[in-house]
Amino acid sequence: MKVLVTLASSHLSLEIASSLSGSHEVRLTDKNEVSTDLEIVCSDLGHGAPTNELVRGMNAIVHSGEIDPAASVSDQLDYQMRCTYNLLWSAAEEGVQRFIYLSSLRLMDGYDPDLAVTERWKPLPTTDVSVLCYHLGEMICREFARENKISVVILRLGDIASEKVAKTAISTSTLYMDDAALAIEKALGADHSGWLDIYHIQSVVPNARYLTGQPWWSADDVSPSFNLGYEPRARS
Amino acid sequence: MNVLILGANGELGPHVVRALEHRHQLRLTDINDLETQHEYFRADAADLDQVVAAAEGMDVIINLSVLRKDRRLAFDVNARGCYNMMTAAVEHGIRRVVNTGPFYVVAGPTYERFDHMIGPDVPHQPGTYLYALTKSLGQEICRVFTESHDIHVMDLLFYMLLDPETHNVESGSPIANVGHDLVPYTISWRDAAEAIRCALYVEMDKLPSRSEVFFVFPDLPHQKFSSEKARRLLGWEPKDQLDQFWKKAKL
Ligand SMILES: NC(=O)c1ccc[n+]([C@@H]2O[C@H](COP(=O)([O-])OP(=O)(O)OC[C@H]3O[C@@H](n4cnc5c(N)ncnc54)[C@H](O)[C@@H]3O)[C@@H](O)[C@H]2O)c1
Repeated sequence: MKVLVTLASSHLSLEIASSLSGSHEVRLTDKNEVSTDLEIVCSDLGHGAPTNELVRGMNAIVHSGEIDPAASVSDQLDYQMRCTYNLLWSAAEEGVQRFIYLSSLRLMDGYDPDLAVTERWKPLPTTDVSVLCYHLGEMICREFARENKISVVILRLGDIASEKVAKTAISTSTLYMDDAALAIEKALGADHSGWLDIYHIQSVVPNARYLTGQPWWSADDVSPSFNLGYEPRARS
Repeated sequence: MNVLILGANGELGPHVVRALEHRHQLRLTDINDLETQHEYFRADAADLDQVVAAAEGMDVIINLSVLRKDRRLAFDVNARGCYNMMTAAVEHGIRRVVNTGPFYVVAGPTYERFDHMIGPDVPHQPGTYLYALTKSLGQEICRVFTESHDIHVMDLLFYMLLDPETHNVESGSPIANVGHDLVPYTISWRDAAEAIRCALYVEMDKLPSRSEVFFVFPDLPHQKFSSEKARRLLGWEPKDQLDQFWKKAKL
């Protein structure tokens, strides 16, 4: 598959791209130059032909909802709303089949940790821009999916952590990089509803806060059950 | 009350000014220059610092600013503008905000094409149309702020606005389809302004939540949308009934 990964300046995107590059043809993009061995195309994800050229021929796009902590609040909001919209339009126009939006489980932090929160629960965004941006990005994705312009998968990722972090320092919604890469690999390959599929993704950690890997089940007989097939690695 | 109006220099602005000027101190702002007897200064709704500065000393913010076509500006004004407005409200302890927008902030084509009696409290389906989606993002940003701040936002949504005195086939308006149909959610400019005036007097603690959306239009026969909530909670009564516009043209 040909896969475009955005926000190459983020550690997560770079790691994901490098992991996917084992089995896919990966192109990275960022508004600035980033040092990498993979193909990288600079783009401000504007409204116009260059963004269409960027996505042309891609089978899937992995778009990160992370914010650039060095940017101003206005620029962070602008990037996550306007650039996400531009990217989705270009992707839809160029016939890209799948759009994978990397959102965050922080949208669900407002619930009591004892509750069995799943993808069906209402997101509880806050005014913290790093959380709000994920919510607004999801809203934009949702409208493109609703109009069947493109098939969208939203992966709400846990707190990204490296294996090297001490066990005592990890949160109950930790997501290790290898599990994140696995989830994205699954999202590229799995059957989807073709509308909007949302999945919660975290690793196996003590007192894991979020349920993962559950099929999307409906009581009717017209919506098939969907499952990403994500199974986080067992860790001792 | 000290009332800040953002985007005061558009079509709706002068009607709102007329409805409020006798009882309130108005501070008008817009990206364009404006001749007025009220306090006026130029402020870009997309500039956080300018909006925060404009809101100093105000009791209410009314947001009439809108940009419909250009992608960058639509996100700047319609979506980020709301973030800036709410940040300004937090900064200055302003508890009442009246936001405005088009009906498809809530009810985009996936409702309008299919349903009837669509009320303003259904989950939002703006669709991908730039104007609708950016205004809907703005409304959602306002709502999220009200979750953690003691600010009430009343979002008044309109569809088509007209002047019943001058609205006729000769007016050249794309909606001047007199005698054939009337957009199922049309209102006169003065009634729209009156609804905004009413929003200034609503007892906020009696509203069901700190973020409420209203469809605002008089009784129309289509039964496509419902404006019942605006009458019930805003205490608003339209003066212009518009029934002359949905009678068949005489052959
Ligand atoms: N006119 C209609 O038929 C209609 C229909 C439905 C909803 N509405 C809503 O009513 C409200 C008022 O609409 P209108 O018809 O007066 O619109 P308008 O386009 O006539 O006026 C909008 C005003 O916003 C100003 N503006 C644009 N960019 C700005 C910026 N960066 N900073 C500050 N101001 C800026 C413009 O200069 C203009 O004066 C809007 O929220 C609109 O969505 C209008």
